[in-house]
Amino acid sequence: MKKVFGLLRPSPATRLGPLEFELLQSLWARGSATVRELLADGSIALAYTTVMTTLDRLYKKQLLDRVSEGRAFRYSPRHTRQELEKAAAGETIRQLLDSGTTASLPLSYLVEAVSEHDARLLDELQRLLDEKRRELREQEEQ
Amino acid sequence: MFAARCIGVSLAVFVLMYAALSLAVSRGWRFVVKVWKPRLAGSSADLLFGLRMAPLAVAAGVTLLFTLPSFLWLEPRFADEAIGSAPLTLGVACLLLFAAGMVRAITAQFRTSRAVAEWLEGGSVMEAGAKVPVVRTPNAPNLTVAGVRSPRVFVSEATMAALSPAELRTAVRHELSHVRRYDNLKKLLFRFAIFPGMGDLQRQWSEATEMAADDAAVSSRREALDLAAALIKVSRLGSLESSPALAIGLLHSSTALSARIERLFEWRTVHAPRSQSRSWRYSLPAGAAVIVLVALTYSAALLRMHALTEWLVR
Repeated sequence: MKKVFGLLRPSPATRLGPLEFELLQSLWARGSATVRELLADGSIALAYTTVMTTLDRLYKKQLLDRVSEGRAFRYSPRHTRQELEKAAAGETIRQLLDSGTTASLPLSYLVEAVSEHDARLLDELQRLLDEKRRELREQEEQ
Repeated sequence: MFAARCIGVSLAVFVLMYAALSLAVSRGWRFVVKVWKPRLAGSSADLLFGLRMAPLAVAAGVTLLFTLPSFLWLEPRFADEAIGSAPLTLGVACLLLFAAGMVRAITAQFRTSRAVAEWLEGGSVMEAGAKVPVVRTPNAPNLTVAGVRSPRVFVSEATMAALSPAELRTAVRHELSHVRRYDNLKKLLFRFAIFPGMGDLQRQWSEATEMAADDAAVSSRREALDLAAALIKVSRLGSLESSPALAIGLLHSSTALSARIERLFEWRTVHAPRSQSRSWRYSLPAGAAVIVLVALTYSAALLRMHALTEWLVR
């Protein structure tokens, strides 16, 4: 897992290439897939060899497991999305805490950012709640 | 000397088993959860609790059922043997482990009792005669259930003002579900059963138990939205203040909060806990099979255990 931390700085989305991240997302959604299966639904408009090479790169970065299936490989994510995000967040916070000259300063930035984020999150959740309540009222009235 | 050897050997076997099983659980609990795939949050919380307590239960069971009887029945009483350095060291380690666990559990109980006494000052019971009193108080955290032997739900004045009657009813039902599931008692047992590396498992249990209490508190989509509203309002009141160890607030952490609220938005009857009677279909035959197996192999098991303890004493 430690090796994975290095790959994730500052977040899986930015440290991994966009194509790598897209394929990882597809595999999280499917659980496991071969190159052919990933290309079958048409959502990934890439050449077979490009997808194959990218999956091989993710395997070498220890982000995927693979088992042979006939003449191809079946790939599956080695870590859940939550595990990767947790690792990335932990690494970012560690970097932030190590960066300041005054020990308490980065921590105060963090507290401020978290409070702002929490307030925004609660606003968003409240908006969704109002929407759901409106939907429910409409359903009950029908 | 016989009694000292008996105690030393029993404690040594206990601590060896406890440490080995705890290590296995702390490393392998995620794998078990992945394979078992509990469908409901309540089952997930029960599985995690079972895994957390399994080392203590299994080590105590083996010691009482096998180690102690094998020593008492098969060890010659008048043999002039020394206690042996390995059983002595392991026995002392076991006693220290017990003592540390007791200190942690008693400290948690003491701090909780002190906090409850403070919260009760100026508080008034909202519903007289209820099995679990719900206390309205100016001093307590927003909404929390505290205590093991005589649990009480505490609701702060600010929460009373912020929540609508329907939201408050659902939120209180959430707290009462923690009482029915003996969650504070389970937290007390966690504090007693010390072993490093169990933090992630316990955090996962906390999140699962919050979701289980959410499921138990709501029985319709409307109630699910009421509980979601209560969670948002209580978190706006800023209630992630530290609580004593044997108290569980409505909010566990802000990370779990959004997951819980999104789950409540998508509430379906599938989340509702089913009657527990179904679990007996599996646990009764399994328990009976274990008892029969132990009865059939008991003598042989005692001989093997005695051989093992002899090896330990040597």
